[in-house]
Amino acid sequence: MAVLSLNNICFSYKDTPVLNDVSYEFERGKMYCIIGKSGAGKTTLLSILSGLAKPKSGSIMYDGRDIKKIDKYKFRSKYIGVIFQSFNLITKFTALENVILSMNIAGYRQRKKRDKALELLKSVGLDESEANRRVLKLSGGQQQRVAIARALSYDAEIILADEPTGNLDSETQSEIMAIFRSLADSGKCVILVSHSPEVAALCDEKYELIKYSKKAKK
Amino acid sequence: MYIIKNAFKCIGRSRGRNILIGVIVFVIAVSACIGLSIRQAAENAKSETLEGLTITATISFDRQQAMNDMISEDNGDISENGRPSFDRDKFSDFMGESSSLTLDEYKKYAEAESVKDFYYSVSASFNGNDDFLPVSNDTTSEDEDTSNSNENSFGMNGFFQPPEDKRNQMMGAQSDFTVVGYSSESAMTSFIDGTATIVDGAVFTEGTTDAECIISQELANYNSIEVSDTITLENPNNEDESYEFTVVGIYTDSSSNESSFSIMGATSTDPANKIYTSYAALQAVLDASGENSETVTDDDTGREFSTEIKSTLSATYLLSDVDSYNKFTEEVRELGLDESYNISSSDISSYESSLVPLETLSKLAGYFLIVVLLIGAIILIVLNIFNIRERKYEIGVLTAMGMKKFKVALQFLTEIFVVTIIAVIVGVGVGGVSSVPVTNALLENQVAAQSSEYNRIEQNFGRPENTIPDDMGPGNMGQNDIPQMQNGGPGNFFDANEVAEYISEIDEAMNLTVMFQMLGIAILLTIVSGAVSMLFIMRYDPLRILANRD
Repeated sequence: MAVLSLNNICFSYKDTPVLNDVSYEFERGKMYCIIGKSGAGKTTLLSILSGLAKPKSGSIMYDGRDIKKIDKYKFRSKYIGVIFQSFNLITKFTALENVILSMNIAGYRQRKKRDKALELLKSVGLDESEANRRVLKLSGGQQQRVAIARALSYDAEIILADEPTGNLDSETQSEIMAIFRSLADSGKCVILVSHSPEVAALCDEKYELIKYSKKAKK
Repeated sequence: MYIIKNAFKCIGRSRGRNILIGVIVFVIAVSACIGLSIRQAAENAKSETLEGLTITATISFDRQQAMNDMISEDNGDISENGRPSFDRDKFSDFMGESSSLTLDEYKKYAEAESVKDFYYSVSASFNGNDDFLPVSNDTTSEDEDTSNSNENSFGMNGFFQPPEDKRNQMMGAQSDFTVVGYSSESAMTSFIDGTATIVDGAVFTEGTTDAECIISQELANYNSIEVSDTITLENPNNEDESYEFTVVGIYTDSSSNESSFSIMGATSTDPANKIYTSYAALQAVLDASGENSETVTDDDTGREFSTEIKSTLSATYLLSDVDSYNKFTEEVRELGLDESYNISSSDISSYESSLVPLETLSKLAGYFLIVVLLIGAIILIVLNIFNIRERKYEIGVLTAMGMKKFKVALQFLTEIFVVTIIAVIVGVGVGGVSSVPVTNALLENQVAAQSSEYNRIEQNFGRPENTIPDDMGPGNMGQNDIPQMQNGGPGNFFDANEVAEYISEIDEAMNLTVMFQMLGIAILLTIVSGAVSMLFIMRYDPLRILANRD
């Protein structure tokens, strides 16, 4: 059964249509890639999937439930983990604090949040000293890892990532993609948004958005 | 809980901005603390002064109102100069008939629940004879004093209960002595407050009908009188009518001095020429005079008048506190006191006068407080708007992560509150320490300004500066003797001479009330500045913020 399904989604910015009748299903344990040229609506689709934007028409089902019936804050903080293109970390906080904050927002009840956060950061390749550094003092790749750790901190079933390798060198790209692969293998649904064919090639399925087109290519 | 933790983290990591907000709140807090302390000091001074204050109240006829009523009644009559005419004879008759309250009426009002004690006195003017002369600087007065006193005395009889000294002076009567009869020793306020002291013999027996009296040492020396001697007093309206009193005591009166001699030659206005007796004794004399009175016609005016000794009755009501006084004013009306009578208290007037500088300062402090709070609130709002705009991205991230907007707002509000409360606590500390010296310095200036204003008025009246007259210049008000007039009474023309002892220093300004008020101010400032933050946060769309950032 699909964990997330899009049914006839339409979206437009004022009078400019961006998405038109988009339907797709995402399943657990798979890594998807939404590809398309600039302006095709990739980031818009990601925003709709993460509950930040509302489609003009159509519906999004999460585990068989219309997300309109789920509190949008709860949906964002518990069911879906988003890794933004520019990471969107709280810059005045350390990497560790960013991850713990995310757990707190999700209402994550675990006594040793700090230990769990450190463990997560370690799993994405950040040691304790890096974890205790303010995010602005971390490199782009390290910030990306923090963003991934943050998305994983509350055990969301769906991981959304916008251009996850965009600013990274090839070695780091490989490491990050390996992390996503392991997440998909652990049963999560990983949805990547990218214009890179290399990234798409590493995914199980890809969904190509064509500008103003009604149908997407599989 | 994490919201509070986050708030503290954010405060610590944005020190520059928070220090700036803190400094502004600190300045507001110090200013507000001093302002509130001044207001509190005024309140404290009021209540402390009131606690130790025994209120005396008097009932007096509202002559001004009576005059106005009479003018409006005679509206149709126009005098030669085109102005409404005023019938002086009618007014005089009216005042003589209706203005004086009787002792029974005074006693009736004394039955009011709020009255703690009640006393009264009667005063009358007498002349001496060749063996008993009034103390006087005027060498000619001895020859004239017994002859001229009855010429015009009836003319102004209509004045309601002026002090006997003033009355005589005003009406032109130049009698020799003022005899005051007291109902009880409580009424003899000059002996109670220490202005007068018995130096030989003893005071007359309270309530006695025996013709016993006490006289001043000056009068005793002037006439070589000793205790147990007898003095003879004549009716100023009928020199054939005389009464004998036995001197049982001699007193000194610190209010009696050279300056108290009347410029009009009315020696009865001199405190040295005051003779005190019991009410019953003097009333017996007055009753006898009434029985022996004749009606004669004045050759000049053609008006008829009685030779009866004219007297003035006054009563004083003792009340526990200001509340009792307020209650008393209502109760006497319920007991039937006409609206044409005023109820007044000199104690409250002098108490209010003493608070003038502090009250003025308190009022100014109130305005200052409002201005400081307004300007402070505006500055904080502006700073918070900048703060929110600067942290727009953070708000976008937090809401995108699923943090509810009201929780974000709550975190921001907590930050503002913590910074505000810390600054207010420091401000209260500094304000508390500096409020007493600052208040005293301001109060000193205020008292100086008030005194300077008083001195200016004194100079305008030709009196020396910084003098607090024991008696109030011409006519010697003798306020201790006639409590009814202490508040000015009809016409209220003595107030200008009164010198208030201003409260010029405070010991303590800060208390729990001020602390709570400051806490209230901190909360108010937080709410005002936080409300703007809330509005902005609620308006923000995380997608738009993050999209713009990207």
